[in-house]
Amino acid sequence: MGKKLTLLTAVFALVVAACGGGAEETTTTTAAPEPGQTTTTAAPAPGGGGDAGAGGGGAQEGGSLLDTVIARGTLNCGVNETLAGFGFKDESGQFVGFDVDLCRAVAAAVLGDANAVKFEPLTAAARFEAVNSGLVDLLSRNTTWTQSRDTDLGLDFGPTTYYDGQQLMAKAADGFSASSTLNDIAGAVVCTNAGTTTEKNITEASDALGLNITLQTYEDFNIVMENFKSGACDVVTTDGSGLVSRKATDPAGGEWVIFPEVPISKEPLGPAWKQNDSVWGDVVRWTVYAMIIAEEKGITSANVDQMVANPPDGEASRLLGASEDEIQTKMGLPADAFYQVIKQVGNYGEVFDRHLTPLGLNRGLNALWSDGGLLYAPPAR
Amino acid sequence: MTQSRIDATQTRPPLWRNVTFLKWATQIGVLVGLVTLAWILIGTALRNLEAQGLSLDWDFLTDPVGIRLGEGIFTQPASGLEAFATAIVNMLRVTASGIIAATILGVLVGISRLSSNWLLSRAATAYVESIRNVPLLIQIVFWFFLMTLFFPTLDAEGSGPIPGWLIVSRKGVSIPWLFPTEVFWQWFVFVAAGAWAARRMYRRRIQLLEETGRETHPARWALGTFVLFAVVGWFAHPIAGAFGWLFALVAAAIAAIPTVVFQIAFALLSIWMGARWIRRFLDSRRTPAGLARLTDDDYFRMGLAGALGLAGAIVFMVLPQLTSLITDVGHFVFAFLDQKFDFLRTGSPLRLGRPSIVVPGKFPQIGDTGMTMTPNFFGLWVGVTLYTAAFIAEIVRGGILAVPKGQTEAGLSLGLKRSQVLRMIVLPQAFRIILPPMGNQYLNLAKNTSLGIAIAFAELVQVGQTLFNQTGDTIQVFLIWMGFYLSVSLILSSIVNWYNRRVKLVER
Repeated sequence: MGKKLTLLTAVFALVVAACGGGAEETTTTTAAPEPGQTTTTAAPAPGGGGDAGAGGGGAQEGGSLLDTVIARGTLNCGVNETLAGFGFKDESGQFVGFDVDLCRAVAAAVLGDANAVKFEPLTAAARFEAVNSGLVDLLSRNTTWTQSRDTDLGLDFGPTTYYDGQQLMAKAADGFSASSTLNDIAGAVVCTNAGTTTEKNITEASDALGLNITLQTYEDFNIVMENFKSGACDVVTTDGSGLVSRKATDPAGGEWVIFPEVPISKEPLGPAWKQNDSVWGDVVRWTVYAMIIAEEKGITSANVDQMVANPPDGEASRLLGASEDEIQTKMGLPADAFYQVIKQVGNYGEVFDRHLTPLGLNRGLNALWSDGGLLYAPPAR
Repeated sequence: MTQSRIDATQTRPPLWRNVTFLKWATQIGVLVGLVTLAWILIGTALRNLEAQGLSLDWDFLTDPVGIRLGEGIFTQPASGLEAFATAIVNMLRVTASGIIAATILGVLVGISRLSSNWLLSRAATAYVESIRNVPLLIQIVFWFFLMTLFFPTLDAEGSGPIPGWLIVSRKGVSIPWLFPTEVFWQWFVFVAAGAWAARRMYRRRIQLLEETGRETHPARWALGTFVLFAVVGWFAHPIAGAFGWLFALVAAAIAAIPTVVFQIAFALLSIWMGARWIRRFLDSRRTPAGLARLTDDDYFRMGLAGALGLAGAIVFMVLPQLTSLITDVGHFVFAFLDQKFDFLRTGSPLRLGRPSIVVPGKFPQIGDTGMTMTPNFFGLWVGVTLYTAAFIAEIVRGGILAVPKGQTEAGLSLGLKRSQVLRMIVLPQAFRIILPPMGNQYLNLAKNTSLGIAIAFAELVQVGQTLFNQTGDTIQVFLIWMGFYLSVSLILSSIVNWYNRRVKLVER
């Protein structure tokens, strides 16, 4: 009996140790409400206070995500791991992509180190819960900015980093060309990703035109592509950039056509975070704007040091933290935050050229406003 | 009458040492504690949800949802409820057909493993061991890809191994099928009557066999009666349409009577059922010498039955929505039946549907004139069937091995063939041992259908996820999932338990 009891106690102790270890430190920092932050009292957050500032309706109890990230020393970022060009896990297990680089830029701004990021691969279905529950501080996963997501789902969106549109892809051998229209898919089996605006758009578009389609939605877009290649799916649909990236990377891509020329929907892709966190929101927004302004002024990762020494104008000098009237410290960031962003990650054009140009994507709508595109950043003053 | 009683001259122990009081106090204390704990937990959960800004509204069930489903009764659901109804029907289709197929296959494989044919037993062993040890998700995706990548492509002309009768392609498999028509239910009345008559005929013939000792072929007579009724019904079913008036009457009555009357009726029913339980319980305790001494446990059970009856009555009186829900369902059922039964409506109850290929646009698709199995259904159904059959095979094998060897030897010594020994002696005894674990496997199968989400089969988890992605109501969908799977599992296990009770050995 004594031996049994000892054994049982040992097993119990092991189980308790295994379950209890690994708890994250939750720092409850109470920051004074920043000027300009809406202050309405909300119910006190349950459990661990400062983490992922609670209070769906009002001020943060325990501070903003900015404080949490600084205290933790790492940025938790939700990304895609299966979309070449935007969020992808390469052969060495590293995350690379356009959206991935935005995470690294925010980490460089806040923490001074672009590699201080913990990437969390998320499916389309799981991403919103990950943000709402505090699993990730920032969602940079080719997410479309829509009214329902902005309000009902509890997210706030940053500036659009990629203006995209939904298109369809079919095989040229089935009688499709770049000038095909939506009416040509009547009666087809259409496959797409589950949990996306794509589903809703194609349903509404086909309902409006009275087309009878069979819609199949899969968790994994790789399965969609396999079925498309074998013919079990007649047509696939997703964001135009996703289609271009698949077409470019697949050996059979030469026989596929993307249509219609004008996308059937607007898909502004950008970063998102949990709503009602103005301090954190400003950080993310101005990181994106800094990258755009840097491209406007011709500041690249190669020449940023010379630019700090001899700033071309007052705006650049403020942005890089080289002058006394810089505004980064008032945001809660280090003065050289955006200098670190440009140095370690690059400006918008460099990031685009690094990940999206090899896939055959043109700047198109994503060019600077001065070049006829839609990228227009507010001035840094 | 001898009863052991506490001697009246003894003084009663103080309250804190009184065993009866302590037992009652503990039980009530635990009950109160549990209720309080549940109250606190649910209250905390709701408060936490509010703090996170997550609302718990159920509008998505009635609002339009704007999604399309891959297959089902409503591929363009007008509301969340219709989407769930489609998903549930799809899930039940896979579950029901999977249970039947897995049972048949599992029993065959289990018996094969014990066969004296070396090749057969080794093949069965290989099947069981390989299927059991590979995760089910991988198997489901494998069967799905087998169909979508390796089956022939669908051509508009000349497709399928037997054009017009059998189509096998990447987009699906289509076979001819007998579909019920409008008058099917009228014919079904005759079929049901035939089943009842066949059972009675079977009993009568068995009785005759036992009395006179001559061969009376009870099985053939029963089958013949059933077939006779079915054939007569095929031509005479318009007569059954007269029931339509009865159903219309009942439906109208349900609609006409105010809800309050039903509420009072249900409340009285609840109280009556409680009282009836108590009365039957007391009757079971009556001995020829009068009412036996009741224990505390008995009092508690009677008290609980009475309390539940009263609680049910109160619930019905306080919540008119519950009663109107029940009456609405009842009205719906009878209105539906009224529609299906029409006096002197003629026609053939079943019609043969043959597969066809249609080209609605640029792509050939399989038409819905035959019975079509999509690759999604195929992958899920074959996957769960083979997987569950492997486990059932082992259960059957264990059950057969558990029957004492002496039974087989006795049967063989009587001159029965091996197959007869198996069918008439071993399997009926093995059945009692096999049944409880089989129920387990059926529950597993029902819940394993949730893996259909990996291959985009429009079952409950897939549709629920689509809904909460579009509307953001994650918690509500999770509650619906849990409630539904719990209900299905409870229903399945109660059916298996009921059957188990019927066949178990009654010890004297």
